Amino acid sequence: MIEAQNIVKRYGDTVAVDGVSFSVAAGEVVGFLGPNGAGKTTTMRILTGYLPASDGTALIDGHDIFREAIAARRAIGYLPELPPLYPEMDVQGYLTFVAKLKDVPRAKRKSAVERAMERCGLADVRRRVIGALSKGYRQRVGIAQAIVHEPKVLILDEPTVGLDPIQIREIRSLLVALASEQEGRHTIVLSTHILAEVEAICRRVILINNGKKVLDAPLAELTANGARLEDAFTRATLRDEAEPEPPSEPPVAPSGASAPSGASAPSGEAQPEPAS
Amino acid sequence: MKHTFVIAGRELRSYFVSPVAYAVLTLFTVIGGFFFLASILSFEAELANAQQWQAFDYLESMNLNDGVIAPFFQIMWIVLLVLVPGLTMSLFSAEKTNGTEELLLTSPLTIWELVLGKLLAALAMITLLTLLLAAFCGLLFVFADPTPEPRKALAGLLAVWLLGANYAAIGCFASSVTRNQLIAFFLAIVLIFFLWLIAVVTQIGAFQQAVGAESLFARILGWISTADHFDALMKGVVDTRDLAYFVGITTIFVLLTKASVESVRWR
Repeated sequence: MIEAQNIVKRYGDTVAVDGVSFSVAAGEVVGFLGPNGAGKTTTMRILTGYLPASDGTALIDGHDIFREAIAARRAIGYLPELPPLYPEMDVQGYLTFVAKLKDVPRAKRKSAVERAMERCGLADVRRRVIGALSKGYRQRVGIAQAIVHEPKVLILDEPTVGLDPIQIREIRSLLVALASEQEGRHTIVLSTHILAEVEAICRRVILINNGKKVLDAPLAELTANGARLEDAFTRATLRDEAEPEPPSEPPVAPSGASAPSGASAPSGEAQPEPAS
Repeated sequence: MKHTFVIAGRELRSYFVSPVAYAVLTLFTVIGGFFFLASILSFEAELANAQQWQAFDYLESMNLNDGVIAPFFQIMWIVLLVLVPGLTMSLFSAEKTNGTEELLLTSPLTIWELVLGKLLAALAMITLLTLLLAAFCGLLFVFADPTPEPRKALAGLLAVWLLGANYAAIGCFASSVTRNQLIAFFLAIVLIFFLWLIAVVTQIGAFQQAVGAESLFARILGWISTADHFDALMKGVVDTRDLAYFVGITTIFVLLTKASVESVRWR
């Protein structure tokens, strides 16, 4: 369903994503892991066609994201890091607008919007203005926006950030349901750095660090014999840290390179946000 | 093209759920009413003057088209110069601050559909403003005797609409290059002023000496400048060359906007 082929993204001399390849089969739920600034968001932006790759390409549902952009985008539901919301619109109006944008046929539009609101628990706030909603509700509107056109592929950038534990549980069960047979076997790629989340929903883990894929394995394999995912995560990120810096990286301060500060913040890592 | 209307519809709805549309329409009506009255009063004063001095030739030449409608539209041009950038400043820059740019650019629509949709929304607002001006002129047709020449008044309204379209395209472009609405607003005004006043350069003595008042370069600058084309339409002369000017400038800025929106992908 998703076929990433050697994706490279450079910003000037910095390499944000360095030859990432993977493929995801229909109905799979993949956790996209990595420390902050590892290139998760950039990779997702490339998969959705928001950013072009410097090299390599990806196929979504068999369509090349650059050459058959429109067809590929139709198959994608995307929740960016910052939910793309218009503060002045009400929830229902907004979702109807997105449904139109995503080519949901007129006859199905109303029911599609209803369904998305129901799934994300938004029925009570349908007439409320988005700008007046709490953060949790806004995040849910963001998810509703991603699933309103029943896309085959869902790409979610930190879908549960800013939610309370009950909402997180709701969203997780929603995602599990979306991937199930009766809800249409959506293929889901979600990025997070909450490892518990991965253990709860994903069946497979892809770990990137410094723009490179360092781990790609089924969750069951990583947690076999009582091993903890956290250990695998730390091992993979640290092992990568210990390797000599690739020549394409900008020179880093020697003090930073000599003291790997754990899995959370690799020192030489400077992933520039694709600014406006 | 279907998405164009989806984008335009959303944009118009957001104009009318936020205070923007109401503020612009109210401001335009109040200022318009004031200057309309001022134009009529000054016409009246001039009429009385001419009668007092028994300047019959001059009295003969006076009419409501040149005496009221034309000066009124000239002043409303200045108002448009400020209001249109106010209408367009948020069109693209707000998408960047809301993060909705990411939604639009990952949706199955082309950048053309996006840009034209935004422009269409701005044009709809400008049509509304032009209709307001038409309503003011309508008063002259109802209450004045003799009535103004209707075709000349229509040419004037066309001039205002084309000018508005022109400024909308410039405003779209200004909005597409920044995420800050205020910068978009001022950039649009600067560009508009530049287009308006560029011909003034040809009036400067030093320029005339160096380049020549009738040189090709001076003529090009004169052509780029908005004023002559606007005045020609105002006189009731609907010349294809003036229409081509407005359509041309609008097209250039639409193309620039498209390139600017697209550049997000290639930065």
